[in-house]
Amino acid sequence: MKKLLAWLLWLWISLVIVGAFLYAPLAKGFLGESSRILFFHVPMAWASFIGFIAAAVWSGRYLFGRRDPRHDRAAAVAIELGLVFGVFATVTGALWARIMWGAYWNWDPRQISILISLLFYGAYLALRAAVDDRETRGRLSAAYALLGLVVTPFLFWIMPRITYSLHPEPVINAQGKVEMEARMSQVLYASGIGFTALFFWIHNLQCRIQALFDRRAAL
Amino acid sequence: MVSGGIGWVVAVNLIIWTGLFLYLLRLGKRLRELEKDS
Amino acid sequence: MRRNTSTWGAEVAAVFAKEWRCEFRTRYSLNTLALFACTTLVVVSFSLGPLGVSRSQGTALLPVLLWIILLFSVAAGLPRAFVQEEETHTATALRLAATPSALFCGKLLYGLTLVFALEALVTPVYVAMTSFNVESPGLLIAVLAAGGYGLAVGSTLVAAIIAQARSKGTLFSVLAFPVLLPLLVLTVEVTRCAASGSAPDVALPQLLLYDAVVTVAGLMLFPVVWNP
Repeated sequence: MKKLLAWLLWLWISLVIVGAFLYAPLAKGFLGESSRILFFHVPMAWASFIGFIAAAVWSGRYLFGRRDPRHDRAAAVAIELGLVFGVFATVTGALWARIMWGAYWNWDPRQISILISLLFYGAYLALRAAVDDRETRGRLSAAYALLGLVVTPFLFWIMPRITYSLHPEPVINAQGKVEMEARMSQVLYASGIGFTALFFWIHNLQCRIQALFDRRAAL
Repeated sequence: MVSGGIGWVVAVNLIIWTGLFLYLLRLGKRLRELEKDS
Repeated sequence: MRRNTSTWGAEVAAVFAKEWRCEFRTRYSLNTLALFACTTLVVVSFSLGPLGVSRSQGTALLPVLLWIILLFSVAAGLPRAFVQEEETHTATALRLAATPSALFCGKLLYGLTLVFALEALVTPVYVAMTSFNVESPGLLIAVLAAGGYGLAVGSTLVAAIIAQARSKGTLFSVLAFPVLLPLLVLTVEVTRCAASGSAPDVALPQLLLYDAVVTVAGLMLFPVVWNP
């Protein structure tokens, strides 16, 4: 059954790749083929963010539940993966920004938001590295993850609104402003689903690897 | 990028993706074996 | 848990008093804060002076520098709040003696007084040294209060988290900055409004919301952080 799902995912993402380049139309106002990158850049950012939410949920269950080490492990892996996906998203975003606006970094509110989230992920991992005792580590990092959860809405939804109201000619944020044709949004959502599924598949594998390590280390 | 070039981009992406996919499958298989032992 | 309010209040006051007594013995935090603030103040005015910042440039630039000074001073001086407890092993005694919420509020109050004292010291000097023109001083005071509170509550919570970890000095900055950065963006925005005289209808409510949210998070998370 699992094998079937896996191959289904392979087919799904392969279709997304084909669709991104051959099926979806080019977005208006973009240079050449560069809009294609959005089909990968945006879903990776989504997956990274969903990973963060998942980590926060697991952290909450760990902290206010039975202190099950599996929840702690799941949260930590989700943050690690969120960081990886987030870095890919930032890099693809920077490449695209270079094409569109001539510079890799533009101090666009969304760029700043994702950078601060990456700082969050890094801080969480730094905290884990600084605590030796397993239970203390789980407790402290779970608390930090939840603190991060309450602070991030300010980053993503509130900050961009302030800076938009400030600057008369806002830096064009394509995801928000461009009206998307049906075919584009189809591929975009399909890609989002695919990347999220990929995220959780890798998450599952990594959790199991980590569990084996922990078991070996305990011996 | 020319339309002839697009085909290449698609092909490269598919190859990279399939490679990653097969790697993950093998990883899963190896994990299952290790988990059965312990 | 129904607690006699007067006992809880007494606990908070006791923690607060203890913090200040300990602080006066060494005066470490006060000195660090003051030294840091003065140094950065001098650096800022020395570098800005010769440039002759115009009014519009001032509105854009000066709020940011002020909050950077405040942020870094707080990051330098505040974390000692919990660290010295663990180091001197008085933490266990505290765990027995005070309820977590009273402890948190006591520490928070201490942090608040530190931050407000810092702001009272820094801001007038800063405004004078940089010829910072502020159209709505009332709003400036409001944002210093709300923003200062945000700095204090965020720092107190993060300080509690890192107290039980290693490499506390750098770890505090690493953990605190992502948490405090959104706050800073909001406070800078409101300060800009205070400088230019415009209305902060978007930023000020969000600043207050931030304060409320982090306070609630602190009250809920501190007990689990503190008690194993």
